[in-house]
Amino acid sequence: MMMAKRPGRRTVIALVATLVVLAPIAWFWQRSLVPGDLSPMAMGYADYGGGPATHTHHGQDVSTLKGPSGPADVTVDLVARKERFDVPGRGPMSGYTLNHTSPGPQIVAKQGDLIQVTLHNESVPEGITLHWHGVDVPNAEDGVAGVTQDAIGPGQSFVYRFVAKDAGTYWYHSHQVSHEQVKKGLYGVLVVQPTATDVVAAVHTYDKVRTVNGGYGERRVAAPGSTVRVRLINTDNGPMIAWVDGAPYRVMAVDGTDVNEPSEVSGKSVVVTAGGRIDLQVTMPQGSAVRIGLGGGPTTLVIGDGNAPTGAQPSDPVDLLSYGKPADLGFDPAKATRNFNYNIGRSPGFFDGKPGLWWTINGHQFPDVPMFMVTEGDVVRMTIKNTSGQVHPMHLHGHHVVVLSRDGVAATGSPWWTDSLNVEDNETYEVAFVADNPGIWMDHCHNLPHAAQGLVTHLMYSGVSTNFHLGGKPSNQPE
Amino acid sequence: MKSVYRALAGLISICVVIQAMAIALAWFTVLKDTDDGLVFDKNSDPNVGHLIHSIVGSMVIPLLAILLLIISFFAKVEGGVRWALYVFGLVALQFGLAAASFGAPVVGALHGANAFALLAVAGIAARKAAASSTVTTAASAETSTEATA
Repeated sequence: MMMAKRPGRRTVIALVATLVVLAPIAWFWQRSLVPGDLSPMAMGYADYGGGPATHTHHGQDVSTLKGPSGPADVTVDLVARKERFDVPGRGPMSGYTLNHTSPGPQIVAKQGDLIQVTLHNESVPEGITLHWHGVDVPNAEDGVAGVTQDAIGPGQSFVYRFVAKDAGTYWYHSHQVSHEQVKKGLYGVLVVQPTATDVVAAVHTYDKVRTVNGGYGERRVAAPGSTVRVRLINTDNGPMIAWVDGAPYRVMAVDGTDVNEPSEVSGKSVVVTAGGRIDLQVTMPQGSAVRIGLGGGPTTLVIGDGNAPTGAQPSDPVDLLSYGKPADLGFDPAKATRNFNYNIGRSPGFFDGKPGLWWTINGHQFPDVPMFMVTEGDVVRMTIKNTSGQVHPMHLHGHHVVVLSRDGVAATGSPWWTDSLNVEDNETYEVAFVADNPGIWMDHCHNLPHAAQGLVTHLMYSGVSTNFHLGGKPSNQPE
Repeated sequence: MKSVYRALAGLISICVVIQAMAIALAWFTVLKDTDDGLVFDKNSDPNVGHLIHSIVGSMVIPLLAILLLIISFFAKVEGGVRWALYVFGLVALQFGLAAASFGAPVVGALHGANAFALLAVAGIAARKAAASSTVTTAASAETSTEATA
């Protein structure tokens, strides 16, 4: 009866206390929600890197930045399906295929060829795209859902056209729900200007099953010559340590760019980061085979006849910062017109309403991240600093960057041009590039689940805009 | 309200036990997988044990701890708010220890030890509510006797 008379005081205190507990949680939760329909133009905040402010709105639409017209030199038709396929050496796997295989067909072109790929989605429910990883294509051909095109829904097709202007090792993969689709098989190899002595070693892990060129376990190929060019491709999410058992080697190219005057290496590994490619030249030993170690585990590639050494993973990797001999960069990084910082951190909180530890860029969380604004012709320097506790393979679309320094130590070897840079925890890289490919380009971590967790931003050119949206009706979800 | 307090505290204890079971399941699964020729690295999806551990740890237990704290404001459990705050604090600490452990695995040992502290404190909180409700029953019996007198 006393209670009925004075319900007030205690209840009021309890209600206020409840509010004090819930209000900040609700506020942080609500703030973290990512809009279901977001224009890349409206995303984040502009970062001009100390250069003049630019205006990108109402500029040239990205969809007009296409490859050249005219007859194609290489024509490829790809049909994407959701289906089961066979992993030789392991058995059936459910996932996605291109022309009934995973990896999809290897695309080969001569330098300067115009490549035309018609991609048809037969049965991938979420829609698909193809991104030409490492090829500096015109922006409309870049294949990023929600930025350069809409996801290609079931029953729809899309045509990609671009010139293979740089010789080298590349790969292609879906950039729609990529953290799922790539892992489950929507990828393939692209080689521009192959040699007669090529051996491709495209490494991919399907649901804990590591494969090379689609096969599990020890895979053996014939040696195409007395020297062999091994094209290592890492299509996975983490850095891969690779090495050669049974012969010395030279690192001929990194991410599609030749190394200047590579020296002979033995007893060392190479780090092929996620999305990265490294070409090795191996001189075959007399009467025996060599084994390419691919990140440990049961899957290796044996080249040649006879016994292959079992070997062990070397403890030290080749340091590309000092490997090879310097050469002209073709531009002067000292004359940079813009200097950007790309600081990768990690903080506890909510992301899209989900509690956890989430990536930040310059202290901001996706989509409230810096957009790196440039004008065509700018010389750009970028300092990538990682204090997030984990390694991040950073991938800038549409450009190659040259490494200037790591942790303050200047590069002294061959120009280290890269499109997929392994940035370990507590490492700082300074890179530079010329802004010579107008468009809106993703600049993200190629550990694709990390990208899906918001480790994504864009490099945006003045005078270019996009009408495509993240989310929206085509359910564009590039990560 | 007291029974809700008691139930929430009890659920937190149960969740802590589930967490221990899930993480053991997770890593034994990894051992068997790698033995079967699979790889466990950055490309591997979390297995069912990891999934349970991360969902229960980052969502279910924090949610229960917040609810327990809110309920404690209303339920007249003796020392109820204090014990709910202890639970909340240990859950926050547990999250922090987990976060730190990714960089420094040795901290993971404390994450394991703190789980037992949480189990104990949540258990004590549940008992407080149980004791408090018997006391209240007794007290209200006294009150009614007094009223009659």
